[in-house]
Amino acid sequence: MQFIRSNILPPLLNHLAALFTVFILTVILRELQIVLSIQIIVLLYLLPVIISTTLWGLTPGALAGFTAFLAFNYFFIPPYFKLAVHKTEDLITLVIFFIVAIVLSQMIGQARDGLKLAKSREWEATRMYEFISALSGLQENNSIARTIAEHVSEVLQIDQVEIYIDKQNSDSASILRIPEKKVYINGSHYIRFPMMTVRALEGEIRLWHGHEVLTPIEQRLFETFSSQGALAIERTRLAKAENRAKLLEESDQMKTTLLSSVSHELRSPLATIKASISSLHSGAVNWDSNARNELLAVIEEETDHLNYLVGNLLDMSRIEAGALKPKREWNILAEILDGVLKKMSKTIEKHHITMDIPNNLPLVPTDYVQMEQVFTNLISNSVKYAPENTLISIVAHVPDHTTLIVKVINQGPKVPEESLSRIFEKFFRITAAERITGTGLGLSICKGIIEAHRGKIWAENLANGFSFNFSLPLTLDGVLPHMPKENNDE
Amino acid sequence: MNKDPLILVIDDEPQILRALRTILTEKHFRVNAVSTGKDGLAYAAAQPPDVIILDLSLPDINGLEVCRQLREWTRIPIIILSVHDSEREKVAALDRGADDYLTKPFGIEELLARIRVALRHTTQSAADPTNIIKNGLLTIDLTRHIILRDEQEIKLTATEFRLIAYLASNADRVLTHQAILTHVWDAYDADRVEYLRVFIGQLRKKIENDPKQPEYIITESGVGYRFVTND
Repeated sequence: MQFIRSNILPPLLNHLAALFTVFILTVILRELQIVLSIQIIVLLYLLPVIISTTLWGLTPGALAGFTAFLAFNYFFIPPYFKLAVHKTEDLITLVIFFIVAIVLSQMIGQARDGLKLAKSREWEATRMYEFISALSGLQENNSIARTIAEHVSEVLQIDQVEIYIDKQNSDSASILRIPEKKVYINGSHYIRFPMMTVRALEGEIRLWHGHEVLTPIEQRLFETFSSQGALAIERTRLAKAENRAKLLEESDQMKTTLLSSVSHELRSPLATIKASISSLHSGAVNWDSNARNELLAVIEEETDHLNYLVGNLLDMSRIEAGALKPKREWNILAEILDGVLKKMSKTIEKHHITMDIPNNLPLVPTDYVQMEQVFTNLISNSVKYAPENTLISIVAHVPDHTTLIVKVINQGPKVPEESLSRIFEKFFRITAAERITGTGLGLSICKGIIEAHRGKIWAENLANGFSFNFSLPLTLDGVLPHMPKENNDE
Repeated sequence: MNKDPLILVIDDEPQILRALRTILTEKHFRVNAVSTGKDGLAYAAAQPPDVIILDLSLPDINGLEVCRQLREWTRIPIIILSVHDSEREKVAALDRGADDYLTKPFGIEELLARIRVALRHTTQSAADPTNIIKNGLLTIDLTRHIILRDEQEIKLTATEFRLIAYLASNADRVLTHQAILTHVWDAYDADRVEYLRVFIGQLRKKIENDPKQPEYIITESGVGYRFVTND
């Protein structure tokens, strides 16, 4: 492919070759002199001119013309073996031959050079086109660097090429090298092209190759490579910046939602507490009345609710920060659940709870406190949406020996199919926010916890209600629990 | 006792100090309240209290460190105050010699119960340890290795008995998984929470009226177990 250089013979050799064709022709014509008329010989002498010009260029052609003129005069025009002319018509023949040879060589030479130029331009244009179209789809710096390096080594015989990309916001600077290992070759020249856009320096193409200077075509190609490369790199940088901006905007939006939801959620229990306490304080309520006990109970409940909300917020921020690392230990699911139901006895008093957990259920590797949180959130969510006096059942089973599946089933309203997976997203609500209290974080906390346990959580509509399901692995780091043998020392 | 028990409260929240001082004084305790770990250590040495209430997050010294330094020279009961979700910290404090913990926010009844238990253990350890523990329907005879429920003897395996004996002789105090495992099994099994879960489950089936709603052996989420007496 590297035809820019390979097709060029050293100039001296070109001229020698031109002289050689004239010499060969002269030898042949000397042999055939008897049978050929002078006119034919003149015509034949145009041959080396045409050949030399076509093959080796303008000056070899001109040289061939000039030597052919001398040889013709010397060998074929009387007086022979002398550079002199006696007859006028011979002189005219010679002069015309000389003019024709020179003009011919000029014209052929120009045509040849034009063709060559056109070919190399076409080649250059093709390379540029290939390069630009190869770059156009790329979104990632590493592949851009690879494309530049590959195209560079395609157009030029190089010892090594290095594509350096400057550091961009979060990404550190990178260097891609072809061949990958750094090579040192004697006499290798180092050339570099900055990859620059009008806005910034994006990187550099560095190459080591055998020639000290580049041809104008190579120079042009490399300039194109570096400027197009710079644009491609800039494009990825801008795309990244835009993505980041979008993310920031989304998280900003989320924070706004969070703040408004949280302040609303926090203020309503505070309002209740404030009202109850101030009425107790002012003496408006009789100290021994039922009203007093009622107010105190309200205060306590609301305080617990506030505590629950704050706990959820902390959990959420921990999940967001990736700081939720479950301390997985072997636990008995029923023990966790019994504890949760006891703590939630007030919340669940208006619903019927049933538990269907097989006695022989294996131990489950979970974080006790986090699993309590999952059950608390799923049950309190069920209680919130399912009508009073309906059944909430908690079912566990082991479909194979490696997974536990738990379902919290309620008789609440169905969730539209398209929202089933979205209910575990932060702040996602199906009903209007005013109707149901909560920060909209409970289910997403469940998701965070279950996923930190390498389990899955999902929801499904049932014929007669709605079910939250999750699965948990039954092995901890690939092993099952170790059980002690009961020592029979008694 | 003619002198009211002295309680040292170490917490950096002024409002908590204010509330505790008011409530505890009302309940006939004498109260020293300080807001730094350094002051706490100094007060504990200068005027040894009967119970120390220690918040784990202090502005100067870490609560765990205060706990450790106190345990270098005294057995005064320490009740830890900490926030929810810091089970590891609670366990660390308990393993460093703290006697009990309370999670903020807590009800004052809980705090008073903890203080009562702490005071009882101080007086008890001074006297001879009891050999027969009675709790509701249960009677545990530590010397004869017998446990009765409603006058009926319950058959326990050796490990089960060691477990209930250890829990009962530390009645009303929280015991960490590690402490129980080390004591009932051995130090090599200190991480085998699964042993504990299984044996506690077996014990509950034998001694509790309703194993699903245990009255005697209470689970302390993420921390350990507590044998509760109803006095």
